[in-house]
Amino acid sequence: MGRNMTISRSMVALLLISIAMVVSPAVNSLPTGVNYDQISAGGCNCHAAAPNAAVMVTLDGLPEEYNMSETYQVTISFTGGPSAEGNANLGGFNLWASGGEITPLDATVQSNGPSEVTHTEAGNDYTSWSIEWIAPSHGRDVDFVVHVNSVNGDGNAGPEDQWNKLTLKVAGSLGPGLEEADPYKVLATLIIISGILLAVTVLYGFYRTNPDAFDWEHLAPWLTEWLTSTDHKKIGTLYFVQGLFFLGIGGILAMMIRIQLAVPGNDFISQDQYNSFFTLHGTTMIFLAAMPLINGFANWMVPLQIGAPDLAMPRLNALSFWLQPFAALLIFTGVFTGEGADTGWTGYAPYIVTEGAHTGVTMWVAGQIMLVASSTLTGINFLTTMAVMRAEGMGWMQMPLFTWSILVANLMLFLSIPAFGVGLIQVYLDRTISTAFYDISAGGDPLLWSHLFWYFGHPEVYVVIVPAFGVISEVLATSARRSIFGYRSMVYAMAGIGVVAFIVYGHHMFTSGMSPSLRFVTMLTTMLVAVPTGIKIFNWLKTMHGGSLVYRTHTLWALGFLVTFTLGGISGMFFPSIAMDTHLHETYFVVAHFHYVLVGGTVFGFFSAIYYWYPKMTGRMLDERLGTLHFLTAFVTYNGIFWPMHRLGVVGMARRHHTYFITTDDFTNLPEWAADWNLFISVSAFLFFFSNFIMVANMLISLVRGEKAPADPWGGWSFEWMTSSPPPTPSFDWHNPPVLKDANEHIAHEPGRLGQWFNRLMVPEDHEEVSH
Amino acid sequence: MSLITPLYDSLWNEYLVWSLLVALFTFGWLYHHSFFYRSEDGENPNVDDLEVGVFPVHYDDLKLELAWTIAPFMLIVYLTYISWAPLDNIWSSPNGGSFGDECDYFNNESSDLYFDDDDGLKGAYKANCYHTIEITAKQWVWSFDCGTLEAELCESGFTEADGRAVPHLSLQAGNAYLAYMTSEDVTHAPWFVSLGVKEDVLPGQTTTVWILAEDVEDFLLLCTEYCGDDHAYMMAGVTIHS
Amino acid sequence: MSGDYDHDHHAPQPWGPHDWGHGAPHNSFSPLFMSMGVAIFLFGMAEAWSYGTYNPGNIPMILVGLLVVGLSLFIWWRQDLSFDGHYEPIATGVPFRGIQIRKVGVWVFLMSEMMVFTSLFSTYMRYRLGIENCGTVFDRGMFDPVTNPTGWQEGVTVTCFEPASHLIASSWWHIAPGAINTFALIISSFTVVQALRYAKMPGLDDEVRRKKVYRYLGTTWFLAVLFLTLKMVEWFIGFYVPEISAIGLHEHDIISLVDEGYTINADHYQHHSYVDEATGAHMVADIQVSASLFYVTTGTHGAHVAGGIIGLSYMTYKAWLGGYTPKNAVSIEYFGLYWHFVDLIWVLVFPFFYLY
Repeated sequence: MGRNMTISRSMVALLLISIAMVVSPAVNSLPTGVNYDQISAGGCNCHAAAPNAAVMVTLDGLPEEYNMSETYQVTISFTGGPSAEGNANLGGFNLWASGGEITPLDATVQSNGPSEVTHTEAGNDYTSWSIEWIAPSHGRDVDFVVHVNSVNGDGNAGPEDQWNKLTLKVAGSLGPGLEEADPYKVLATLIIISGILLAVTVLYGFYRTNPDAFDWEHLAPWLTEWLTSTDHKKIGTLYFVQGLFFLGIGGILAMMIRIQLAVPGNDFISQDQYNSFFTLHGTTMIFLAAMPLINGFANWMVPLQIGAPDLAMPRLNALSFWLQPFAALLIFTGVFTGEGADTGWTGYAPYIVTEGAHTGVTMWVAGQIMLVASSTLTGINFLTTMAVMRAEGMGWMQMPLFTWSILVANLMLFLSIPAFGVGLIQVYLDRTISTAFYDISAGGDPLLWSHLFWYFGHPEVYVVIVPAFGVISEVLATSARRSIFGYRSMVYAMAGIGVVAFIVYGHHMFTSGMSPSLRFVTMLTTMLVAVPTGIKIFNWLKTMHGGSLVYRTHTLWALGFLVTFTLGGISGMFFPSIAMDTHLHETYFVVAHFHYVLVGGTVFGFFSAIYYWYPKMTGRMLDERLGTLHFLTAFVTYNGIFWPMHRLGVVGMARRHHTYFITTDDFTNLPEWAADWNLFISVSAFLFFFSNFIMVANMLISLVRGEKAPADPWGGWSFEWMTSSPPPTPSFDWHNPPVLKDANEHIAHEPGRLGQWFNRLMVPEDHEEVSH
Repeated sequence: MSLITPLYDSLWNEYLVWSLLVALFTFGWLYHHSFFYRSEDGENPNVDDLEVGVFPVHYDDLKLELAWTIAPFMLIVYLTYISWAPLDNIWSSPNGGSFGDECDYFNNESSDLYFDDDDGLKGAYKANCYHTIEITAKQWVWSFDCGTLEAELCESGFTEADGRAVPHLSLQAGNAYLAYMTSEDVTHAPWFVSLGVKEDVLPGQTTTVWILAEDVEDFLLLCTEYCGDDHAYMMAGVTIHS
Repeated sequence: MSGDYDHDHHAPQPWGPHDWGHGAPHNSFSPLFMSMGVAIFLFGMAEAWSYGTYNPGNIPMILVGLLVVGLSLFIWWRQDLSFDGHYEPIATGVPFRGIQIRKVGVWVFLMSEMMVFTSLFSTYMRYRLGIENCGTVFDRGMFDPVTNPTGWQEGVTVTCFEPASHLIASSWWHIAPGAINTFALIISSFTVVQALRYAKMPGLDDEVRRKKVYRYLGTTWFLAVLFLTLKMVEWFIGFYVPEISAIGLHEHDIISLVDEGYTINADHYQHHSYVDEATGAHMVADIQVSASLFYVTTGTHGAHVAGGIIGLSYMTYKAWLGGYTPKNAVSIEYFGLYWHFVDLIWVLVFPFFYLY
């Protein structure tokens, strides 16, 4: 399906309506106009099935290259076919132009809106028609599509009649260069440039490690080491780099979206491009940016925090990582072929399995299947590690809160993501070998996909936010030089969120046609989410009480997180109320809410983590002044993007729309000021996008000439601060594993009753002789 | 300012008040602590004697923690309670619910929709009876079928909005309508923006939505379930006349 | 911790073989290649089939993908072959202290596998309960505007649910492959436990142990292959029943499911049991959803068996080399856990898809 077809499909809706309006009620009365719906369906089947070359169509009077806003007289004519002198009528036509304005010159032609004309009943007796075309003022290329019928005049439409089609492109005076700057190509180029920049940065990193050994003989083993490493710190760094890289790519996609929405009715990108851009933006940000960033820190810090030399299954861990970049390649395949996935990250059935969806959807699904495999393996690995490899003295209730958050997140993830995987495989098979899971005509149920997706999708958003809770707990406590307030209630709150996550997903389907009783139940459970989240926020605030808050960059980000996440949490409370959700669903209010929790929550939380743990990971301190500048610019511009969106959503701006409508005399939609706010949002978005490069620059500069970091620069208590910066490999001495002391004197050395039962159940009786 | 409908507005206002209270409380606290407890001129007293490799001393207070478990819980119980009432209007039964039964046209029964402020907690819409219309969606056009309703009550046609021809639905104010909806291809959802209602339209299934035409207004109906290329252009004009 | 970790960071061996004296696996090319292979495979599959249209030009792509995955497995096993149990990480955390870490990992893995089949069964239940059964529709009879306004009508396709069990449970011969498979899997669960038993039996002669272990693992492998073979027979091939009058057998062909028309594209499914005896009218059914469910659910189980066969091939080879001793016999237990799980799933799949 090419671009032309997309355009023609767009025309179908438009023209069908216009014509239907004009000729209503006699919609099918062919002598008075062509029904465009029938033209598009593989040809004008009102006459003959396929276009016939016997009908020669000519379009006279159009220039090679038009002058802006100039008026041209155009003649449409045809020869050939069954039309002949003496027939009752001779033929008809339909002309559509992608730009400018077409007006009829006489009574043989009628207008179907500014971009389209067709013949009138009187015009049926001619073989040529004249119109006037006022060229557009934007100077871009204009496509003309003309369909012509040659009829035998028997008054009936039949296969004896013949038709043909002509498409013509008139160059704009802006010249071909700009016109060819197809946003897909812009995006593809930007991705390639980003990739090259990344490669150059990596090479530079290698050069800096040993400027004397900058040759292939040293590079090859160095690269091999990175490609094959199973060390949790190396893999963590790989995840981290991947996460930041795709944060940039997702950002570029967001910028394209914001350019398009800066003014109403913008045509910077076409609707199908817009649709695939927001789809890829969502998928990239959730799966290829946020999750790898989390996994990067989890890989780095979880073994360090529990005093383990590595993860439980290091090779599996490497597999989890390497599945991701290849999955990303599949997900972006569509972009490079100009047919990016366009289903939204939710990929609702049955659209996702229809042939109307872009071909890139199949690869997008395939890529996500690999991500599912990756996440499942990660979940297994981390759960096992945390369950079995804790150091002496570290019971469940002595684990640092970041480790706890990763435990809860992975528990949610690996129990929910198989449902998504199964759904994806069903869709993949539907799209390839034509199974019928979501084939509506064969009895498929679109809601089944929604259930499978959201059963995963809701825990997934908690998987992304809960690790940020962990980070903030660490950062705030360390910055205030305090023990975290209510360690145990923090753990129970996180566990509570983990449990509730599985029974609230129905709130994504309040308007989906799902059974009202199910909607009502999820309304109640969704309300419950506020309780554990509230506990966490109040505990964080109380942690600061009586402390001595040291303002570092990570402290600023943590305080910023408290502001934005609280706002996101409050706006989230509007959704479980079904009466309001019925209005707010799929609006910019929702967009504002989930960006407040995903950017203001997850991304801010992990920016904090970057400033907090970067010295540990690289052995270099980050620059505090650049960090503060980054925080101030990013925090302000971030709120500039998403705060106005709340209001826009309430007054009627729907999400996933490539354009929006300002109130006219006829119909109310968005007020005038909505356009101004959208422009404001777009400007803020660009500032936010670029402000984050301050952090990237900060990291790169520090890597080269940052101050050397001590083992415990911030005064934290957990094991990672015990190792040197950066830590050695293996991270802890196998012969002298660390032992956690407990300031509360009641160290749980012995397993509890449940633990004893587990031990009896699972330790083989001959275990002692095996291990000795 | 009436945002959408009385049903929605009373909830919205109440939520807004509570949001403000929670936000003021939280941010006031945050603001105070982040300045009051800041470390003076870089000094950094180790309040809880944090030490590497030692699990820090517990800092908790059961009463406080219980307090901010129970307080939010009570708040959400209240918010649930006030969110409860409008459900009667959203999911009213087509047989003897808030809107009675389908109007009996032989006896010239009229719908007489009104908002009863005193009913229940937040008020509710009431009507004697309702009218039935059908909505069919396909990529990317709505079609409205008024059935046998008189043109006064319901009329469908075409109009122009944003420079393009779009379907048009004309309803009479003071009437309750029940729309039976289905789709010919993929999932869509009509959003009656100024009425604050939307419901997905599923292929192969029938869903319903109550259209409570109370005020005289003209507004755009938008598609709010992503349905492909011209999703944003899949709109319709809705006129509620007196 | 019983592992022995070398402090000297020696030159890594990403291609294998692996020096286990240094503890947990070091570098490996396997993860990189496996991911690459899976991506190529999924890409090739999507290029080769589009909505049932087959494009053979992309088959080499699929093969390349499988080849790369094979290469990665080869590297993985090459590193693993020397594993003698000297390094078997043992848990230190409560409540798992003293248990092998990898065993905990397998249990966690099986928990997520449960969710895969739960999702598949949810899909099945949604459609089984949500779409009317073809038999019920047929029983309602031909369409008659007065007496039977909702019945089926000659020549008009009815969308209904046709469980595979309608075909399979129609005769003992049809059910035979599935029944044999059930026993094959149960017996294979037993043989894998026997292999474990002999592998960790203390004081057994090395040669005797080697023979016992590789023979029991080999038997397991054989039974698993038998399972998949019979599945292919049942799906695609069918079989022939000879005339043995002594036991009352009559010569006839047992037709495979695909030949019966039970396919994922069956939008005009006709079956001799859906012919009205009185009028000779045929009921035509669209059963694509039911067939998709049957093939994909049992196919997912089959894919698990196939995965087991790949693992078993390596384990049998290692056993044949005498690689399993009481020290590392627990590796067989890890496989056994997975294999019992696959067996257990079949015990659920069989009644839902073959009997009921």
